[in-house]
Amino acid sequence: MGGDYAPEEIVKGALLAAEKDDVEIFLVGKGDLLERKLAEYKVANGSHIHIVGASDFIKENESPVDVIRRKPDSSVAVAAKMVKAGEADAFFSAGSSGAAAISAIQFIGMVEGVYRPALVGSLGSFAPNTVMVDLGANVDCKPHQFLTFAVAGSVYARKFLGITDPKIGLLSTGSEEGKGNDAVREAYSLLKNSGLNFVGNIEGGDILNGKANVIVCDGFVGNVILKFYESIAGYAQAWTERKLRKYPPLGALARLMFKRLFPATKMSSQTEKQGGGILWGVNGVVKIGHGASRAPQIAIAIESAEEAVKAGVVESFRSELARFNQGGKL
Amino acid sequence: MNVEEQIKDILARITRVDKSIITRQSTFKEIKADSLDVVQALVAVEETFGIEIPDEDAQKFQNFGDFVSYVESRVPQKEKV
Repeated sequence: MGGDYAPEEIVKGALLAAEKDDVEIFLVGKGDLLERKLAEYKVANGSHIHIVGASDFIKENESPVDVIRRKPDSSVAVAAKMVKAGEADAFFSAGSSGAAAISAIQFIGMVEGVYRPALVGSLGSFAPNTVMVDLGANVDCKPHQFLTFAVAGSVYARKFLGITDPKIGLLSTGSEEGKGNDAVREAYSLLKNSGLNFVGNIEGGDILNGKANVIVCDGFVGNVILKFYESIAGYAQAWTERKLRKYPPLGALARLMFKRLFPATKMSSQTEKQGGGILWGVNGVVKIGHGASRAPQIAIAIESAEEAVKAGVVESFRSELARFNQGGKL
Repeated sequence: MNVEEQIKDILARITRVDKSIITRQSTFKEIKADSLDVVQALVAVEETFGIEIPDEDAQKFQNFGDFVSYVESRVPQKEKV
């Protein structure tokens, strides 16, 4: 069990989720510690909350790859193995994202045709019909990965945004075909010949204008953009209030507008609102949350993982990819 | 299939590179294998040949040839051909 505020906030979040929904939750971690935490909340192990002991865990400063050979009994590995065995429908971690992703890859396995999982998220607020892939799971990408990112984004756009034929754009430094680094240039050619609704390269200035419904990029770029995007609203609010302070009636109106009608908290991405993102491409629902998640975010993450299971996102992605992969494109 | 071909198959499947580009002189970097690819390959090779490759030994592999030679030295004679 990981996360900046584990185990306290994780246990509280699990209890919150169990109160709201008819969901069964397995807390994977040090058994004695979790027993004590549940006892503090007067909850019996085995009602809707079960404790699954794991003798080890991955520390933040450890290499995530260690989960495979050095720490196969760490909590995140045990949770992944439970999904693989069908003992759990999904797993969520607020600990090391890398360790969670690697556990998913190694112990659950990938959908046929997928090299590595990706994080997909809707940009929400300013661009409600736009999703971005990858948001940080793959810092360095091979060209063929951009294709699976595009398929994952298309499934997300269809399933969660109701867009029937999503437009795919490749994020680059220019709209012309030859722009970008080696991986992007090669990915352009693969996407162009993929049969997907590929609209070509899009630049940073096009992210919010709807030119593409699915913006494909590597996880390094995607993660930087996501965090920048999520920071804009708070800064815009503070800047506007500061500017209007010298005009008291307008300043009061601006405060009202931001606090009541246009709060910064509503201007973040869907990924933020859902308590983290799903790892697309894994043969099971795996949700990765922010390390700093508190109980309410943990509860939201658990609920949205449950929704993803009910919506059959893995099955949809698998069948879409199989359809697209006819002829061995991936 | 000999040991070298089997390991080449495993590495090509995991890294998604064309098998033909892997030679005994190829470094993992040249094959574009990252640390996860290498660990997955080690696990797959251990399972395929029923051997254990300690981390301290694996860290000494400079190229694909070192990897193959190490496995060949650990695999019972009958499995080599």
